[in-house]
Amino acid sequence: MRIEIGVPGLLADCTGGRAKFPLEADTLKEAVERLFADYPMLKRHVYDESGKVRKHVLLCYNKDNLDWLDNWEIPLQPGDKLFVMQLVSGG
Amino acid sequence: MAKRVKLLVGTNKGIFVYSSNEERKDWKLSGPFLSGWEAYSVLGDSRNGHALFAGTSHAAYGPSIRVSYDFGESWTQIEDGPRYSEESGFSLNRIWQLVKGAPTQPNTLYAGVEEAGIFVSHDRGITWKELSGLTSHPTRPGWFPGAGGMCLHTIIVDPNRPQRIWVAISAVGVFRSDDGGETWQARNAGLARVPTGQPFDKVGYCIHKMVTDPDNTDNLYMQEHCGVFRSEDGGDSWIPFEEGLTLREGDEPFGFPFCVSPTGDLFIIPLESSEQRSMRDGKLLVYRRHRDEGEWLPIGDVLPDEQRHVSVLRDAMSVDSMDPYGIYFGTTSGELFCSLDRGVNWQRLPGQLSRILSVKPWILEAEDED
Repeated sequence: MRIEIGVPGLLADCTGGRAKFPLEADTLKEAVERLFADYPMLKRHVYDESGKVRKHVLLCYNKDNLDWLDNWEIPLQPGDKLFVMQLVSGG
Repeated sequence: MAKRVKLLVGTNKGIFVYSSNEERKDWKLSGPFLSGWEAYSVLGDSRNGHALFAGTSHAAYGPSIRVSYDFGESWTQIEDGPRYSEESGFSLNRIWQLVKGAPTQPNTLYAGVEEAGIFVSHDRGITWKELSGLTSHPTRPGWFPGAGGMCLHTIIVDPNRPQRIWVAISAVGVFRSDDGGETWQARNAGLARVPTGQPFDKVGYCIHKMVTDPDNTDNLYMQEHCGVFRSEDGGDSWIPFEEGLTLREGDEPFGFPFCVSPTGDLFIIPLESSEQRSMRDGKLLVYRRHRDEGEWLPIGDVLPDEQRHVSVLRDAMSVDSMDPYGIYFGTTSGELFCSLDRGVNWQRLPGQLSRILSVKPWILEAEDED
């Protein structure tokens, strides 16, 4: 299944200069693993040393924060989106 | 051979590059490069081609080292850059310092980071490893951050003895290695200790910036949280070096940057106090003292007719290697100034930038830009 990946403009140099691009995967878990395997510098900016998503970063599947999902073995559907965004943190 | 002078300016919203000829009268401003990224450290390295390194970070996305081989037009992130292991428990938040190795180490670079640690690259910045003897020092449980974070902001490599390296950490102190960074010894005797509440008496010293004498690396100078100090024995002991500096009764000489010229002129920019951290009465005043002189003098009234209620950060002042040398500093309000007469008269460079974090000159052969 081909889904759409979105990353913030500041991180687009980690993904070949693209802020939006397609990615092939069958499940959400596979998509996340493939995204960060293909783009290791993106992983460096999304996750901290402990393996947690950075405090002010969100990793979302459609409208859901991935941290809220109990199970990532979700079959992907046409039109699905997986995206990284900066968490709104006041100001 | 004619020279080109570049001034690399790291701000909290990207990097700017000023370019001029040897006269350094007219400056062309380019940038921002890496817009949106804060650049606590910048380094121009002409030892193998021309590499412009930047230690960039972002409040949300963390840090990385980037390099440009075309004077800032395009950049590549270093994939195998500094990084703490998960087991270490440390967090890499910023790259505070990038410096070249000794002349006999043409492929070596060092990086000082927050949380405090030092990394080294021996392949021109492509791969990096931590010199973990520092973060495994017995005093490490007693390290506490200053207001700017627990940053390793100063690295000095002895040009004649490459195995000798000094680092300075806020608010921890000075450490020296005599074996290329494998082991480290605290070197803070004589400094004024700040109240961190930790139990190790060998640390707890809030160094703001430290430099070494260009002709004798046993002579070190520093701006510390509680004053200005000098060492004549490679950091084994420190003595106050403050004659002429008492700015207001009861205050200790407080400031951040410290730089030294090729001829031994020392420069600082004192602030009102630790509590206020701004120019006293808005007067942008540079102090100079030659290493052989007996006192500091308020030599440069940068803007005699205007006030600037600003600060100058620890890496935002530097000196080039030209003759006569130029001295430069940038303010927290994004203005950049240059003096070509030992700090007496100052020229404001064009542009109104963001908060200036670092200012570093880069001298090139003129033909290199063709």
